[in-house]
Amino acid sequence: MVTLSDYTAIVGEEVVGQLYRLAEALGPRRFVHVNSTRSGGGVAEILSRAVPLLNQLGLDTLWEVVQGDPDFFEVTKSFHNALQGQDVRVSQSLLEHYKDINRENARKFTWEADFVLVHDPQPAWLINEMRSQAKHWIWRCHIDVSRPNLKIWKFLQEIVSQYDASVFSMAQFAQNLPHPQYLIRPSIDPLSEKNRDLTPEEIQQVLDRLQIERDKPIILQVSRFDTFKDPVGVIQAFRMVRKHTPCKLVLAGGEATDDPEGPRTLAEVMEAAHGEPDIQVLLLPADAHHEVNALQRAADIILQKSTREGFGLTVTEAMWKGKPVIASAVGGIVLQLRDYSTGFLVNSPEGCAFRIRYLLHRPEMAARMGKMAKEFARQHFLITRTLRDYLTLLSLLENPGSQLIEL
Amino acid sequence: MKQTEKFDPNLPAKDPFWFRECFLMPMPLGQKAINLRELLHILREVDESVIYYHLVQSRLTVTQPVVEYPNEFALWAATALQDSKLAEKLSSFDPFDYDNMEEVRGAMVDIMEEYLWDLPSVPWAHAGFEFHFCEASMVVIRSETPANTLKDFCQGLGKVGLDSVYYHFFEARRRLGTRQLDDFSYWMETNFGLPELVKAIRDIDAYFYTLREIRDTLLVLIREHLGELCGYPQ
Repeated sequence: MVTLSDYTAIVGEEVVGQLYRLAEALGPRRFVHVNSTRSGGGVAEILSRAVPLLNQLGLDTLWEVVQGDPDFFEVTKSFHNALQGQDVRVSQSLLEHYKDINRENARKFTWEADFVLVHDPQPAWLINEMRSQAKHWIWRCHIDVSRPNLKIWKFLQEIVSQYDASVFSMAQFAQNLPHPQYLIRPSIDPLSEKNRDLTPEEIQQVLDRLQIERDKPIILQVSRFDTFKDPVGVIQAFRMVRKHTPCKLVLAGGEATDDPEGPRTLAEVMEAAHGEPDIQVLLLPADAHHEVNALQRAADIILQKSTREGFGLTVTEAMWKGKPVIASAVGGIVLQLRDYSTGFLVNSPEGCAFRIRYLLHRPEMAARMGKMAKEFARQHFLITRTLRDYLTLLSLLENPGSQLIEL
Repeated sequence: MKQTEKFDPNLPAKDPFWFRECFLMPMPLGQKAINLRELLHILREVDESVIYYHLVQSRLTVTQPVVEYPNEFALWAATALQDSKLAEKLSSFDPFDYDNMEEVRGAMVDIMEEYLWDLPSVPWAHAGFEFHFCEASMVVIRSETPANTLKDFCQGLGKVGLDSVYYHFFEARRRLGTRQLDDFSYWMETNFGLPELVKAIRDIDAYFYTLREIRDTLLVLIREHLGELCGYPQ
């Protein structure tokens, strides 16, 4: 089992020591997280690591998962899409089903807590049934809600307004709510299978298995094959680079099974890559964390040419591996990359191609950027920062109305 | 060494120094500006804590490794409005030149009003690059052991988190209500005198330094005035 002391070598004694001091000042508290899946997706990924660490810090922390049927997940998927701005209609009967499933789950939950952190819309309704079972209710929204669909947001807003606080990942996601809203950045775990250090042999084994030769510099984009990640734009950029400089492109990711346009996007990618031996398209399963880690570590330059992005944790992962990243100036990517410092922001396939060429011809600049990017990720976007933010948040909620509290 | 060579770094202080760590939690308001006129309008109305956040406290959040623009208004003018002239004006603005946040607000409003007055059109940000207003709450914890001597202090300063440097150097000015006063130089002055070192610390042009640079500068100043006390920075 990973322990907090394992992080000392990565973030320093001072950071781990702060977590213990904050937790001690807060005192023993019962802290419950509720989400809708035990595995798959970024929320489950970070909870599976954060919950044991919070327990090590002396907080009695529990992770509960709401159970649902296909109709329930259909409606919550619609919520998700609507919050991201899609024009979605949900029938009244499905909305009632959403409430019913939450009621059923509430009957099974017997825990009592000082704090409950409810992740995303799926379990949000629980507060209606369980208000008295926890002193402080916090809604944690991981979704880009900068331009939500109004009808669905109004439905959820009524529920979320009952909470004592909300937490968003970016300031632009904050909403008109009658309670304090806080900002906690997403994070990655440097000791997870996706991010831990790999030996050169481990990296080579994965490359051999995926039949990737290291005969030319590797340009990589890891992401689902969906239109928002603009894989076709990546290929356009690559073709522009190839006219001048030898390199190869690896596009690695899963199929977007919940995106009706997913298969079409993949077909477009295959069409765009056709006849180009230096483009490799890899369809990886969702749990191919080790492979993704090895690919990122083998790459010379990592791209994230999304047209829309919530926060862009794939950028954080690449930065943590000390790689120069070229990514679109959208969403949380803007917060992570600064030109010539921690990476390059671009706005078009031409811009992307230009920056790839720039870095291929300046390996010393690429190395310097990668180094700065790694330090930046270390300082701001590792799981220890999330733990620190949780502890700070809980301390603040126990002292409502104070902007500065001394423990 | 500039100060008296007879100073004993192991001399006990009358009042020991307690380093404090601070944990900042940004709180977005859900209010945004897409152009300079909107920014100015909101700036006139928001709480002082919001202005303070974007001018000073934001250096404790996700800040870039190098200080190019010392506050978030200047950074927004440069990156979102792509108006380098305005960014220059806002970068040169130092909130510690004023006695209170109302004066700071007035001075910022003046800069933006004057700038807008001479412009043929209002500068706009692209969609997605709006200025999002925030304030912050803060949790503070006192360290377990105090620094009883300047040597202890120096060693402590080399080890504490950068948020502690922020708390004693920036937040102190707000807490103490005095623009030139930080906790470090105040403690040295009231416990040991050391007028030259105290003056040198108060002369640090802190607004343009990262927190790490401020810590390094403090330790270098102490070494210059009192000799090697803690072996940091190398």
